[in-house]
Amino acid sequence: MMRFKRFSLSTVLIWAALLLVLVFTLAPLLFMLTSSFMTSRQIVRMPYSWIPDPLYSANYLKALAGNDGSWIFLRNLFNSLFVSITVAITTVLIASITGYGIAKFNFRGRNFIFMLIMATMMIPFEAIMIPLYMVATGLKMQDSYAGLIIPFLVSAFGVFQMRQYLTTFPSEYLDASRVDGLGEFGIFWRIVFPNCAPVIATLGILSFRGQWDNLLWPLLVTQTEKMKTIPLYISKFAEEKLTDEGAMMAVAVIASLPMFILFGALSKYFIGGSAVYESRKG
Amino acid sequence: MKRKYIGIERKEARWGFAFTVPAILFFSLFSFYPILNALYTSMFDKRVLSLAAPKFMGFGNYSYIFTSPDFWNSIRATFVFTLGTFLPIVIFSLMLAVFMVNLKSNKVRGFFQIAYYTPAVISSVVAAAIWLIMFDPRGLGNQWLNALLRTPGVDRKWLADATMVQVSTMVVYFWKYIGYFVVLFITGLSAIPPAIYEAATIDGSSKWQAFWRITLPLLKPTVVLVSIMAMLQCLKTFSTQYLFVQGGAPRAPINVITLNIYTTGIRNQRIGRASAMSIVLFLIMLLFTWMQFRFSKSEEVEY
Repeated sequence: MMRFKRFSLSTVLIWAALLLVLVFTLAPLLFMLTSSFMTSRQIVRMPYSWIPDPLYSANYLKALAGNDGSWIFLRNLFNSLFVSITVAITTVLIASITGYGIAKFNFRGRNFIFMLIMATMMIPFEAIMIPLYMVATGLKMQDSYAGLIIPFLVSAFGVFQMRQYLTTFPSEYLDASRVDGLGEFGIFWRIVFPNCAPVIATLGILSFRGQWDNLLWPLLVTQTEKMKTIPLYISKFAEEKLTDEGAMMAVAVIASLPMFILFGALSKYFIGGSAVYESRKG
Repeated sequence: MKRKYIGIERKEARWGFAFTVPAILFFSLFSFYPILNALYTSMFDKRVLSLAAPKFMGFGNYSYIFTSPDFWNSIRATFVFTLGTFLPIVIFSLMLAVFMVNLKSNKVRGFFQIAYYTPAVISSVVAAAIWLIMFDPRGLGNQWLNALLRTPGVDRKWLADATMVQVSTMVVYFWKYIGYFVVLFITGLSAIPPAIYEAATIDGSSKWQAFWRITLPLLKPTVVLVSIMAMLQCLKTFSTQYLFVQGGAPRAPINVITLNIYTTGIRNQRIGRASAMSIVLFLIMLLFTWMQFRFSKSEEVEY
């Protein structure tokens, strides 16, 4: 009897803790969504009412059109999408071909090359951003898509992941394809690449997120409004927040939509992908 | 026969090179060159707009930053943030993970895992923006804390007080990453074979004893690795602090090293001085990475 009682008490406590943390993690997200439909006065009403009444949707117009009606937000949204998608694709392609080269080909200096690529994981982006900015300026890449994309074409972490995955790939398939007369690029593209689907999904999502979330580099490399990305657009709102809380949250909702859609569709790759060390440029 | 074999080997080597050289060139230009360049530039008094050739000053930039209260403040801010963030994250996420592993239903566990993880999905700028508004004097931050402590109407000055603004940045990070670390610990916990717990239960141990005597010792490598990972993440924090300062919070308490590098190098155009700060940040993080490698080598557990 005693034992049963103690057990149930701990169960109650565990559930209380889990639910409390659940409220803590989800409430701010709900706050973002509800307050995006409120006027500034409604947002700071005490106590906060969780149901926007009346539903004030002008925030979204203000978010899209901007305070000056320039609609630059749409261009910034396109920039973010374009940069993130491009980086996801190039990272997956270059990382898989490099990982394949290291995993399946014997050549002198192979281990050295692998070590070298691993070593770059120890160089945090934040420590090289100033010289990287000088490189970008030297190559005349500032304020351009090239400048936003090229420094992130591939990540060392991606190469590492692909190499680990492909080391266990059966070499018999490769040899069989060679006997069948398939060229080396053909083998990579038709045999190896399609068989990497799980790593490709994890790595693609990770790279997409990395750029979607990137504030620091666009802050350095872009100058004109039309080359800016969503994180920069939001930080501009932060300066004007006292007048525009609702619109800021509307921007936040729009900026989060792609990630929520991806997460809803592919949550297992998010959660699986986080179980390993995050990309150095994450 | 032998000659042909060598031929194949050569061919293999050629393709191996062809597949790996592009990446090597890329990393040389965008990783190795910049870090060496940072080391080199940190020895010069380099400014962007100045036309005069940068003057060599040896370790002058280092002696400058290490005697400047501003940089020491940045080191303090970075370490306060790192300690104040990673300790609660590691302790709470470990606790939650242990609770969740004990849940009977896989579906319920999956639900909690996804719900906790959701804040990690949104970008850090959005996270900071949400909390920037919740920390308004009349916002939810005050309302919740006052409801919890039964102190109606007290303004905690989340974004105005020097101590509170540090706590605020920690709250943002804690909120965003708690689910991420819960997932990491659940992965570590599921690697412990259930047979060990069964044996312990047969021997009459309680769940509490099982946690301290079995789970924690076996999980020690995971705890150490996850802690170092969390610290590495915290050391390079930028977005939250940047956005809070943009939003009107006082700069000094949360002027972390990355923010200082940005201000010194880009806003004030002191490239040499910023490079010296970058090298210091790099060395700090290198130390933690080295510790990570040491531990992951020496602390492997086999079941």
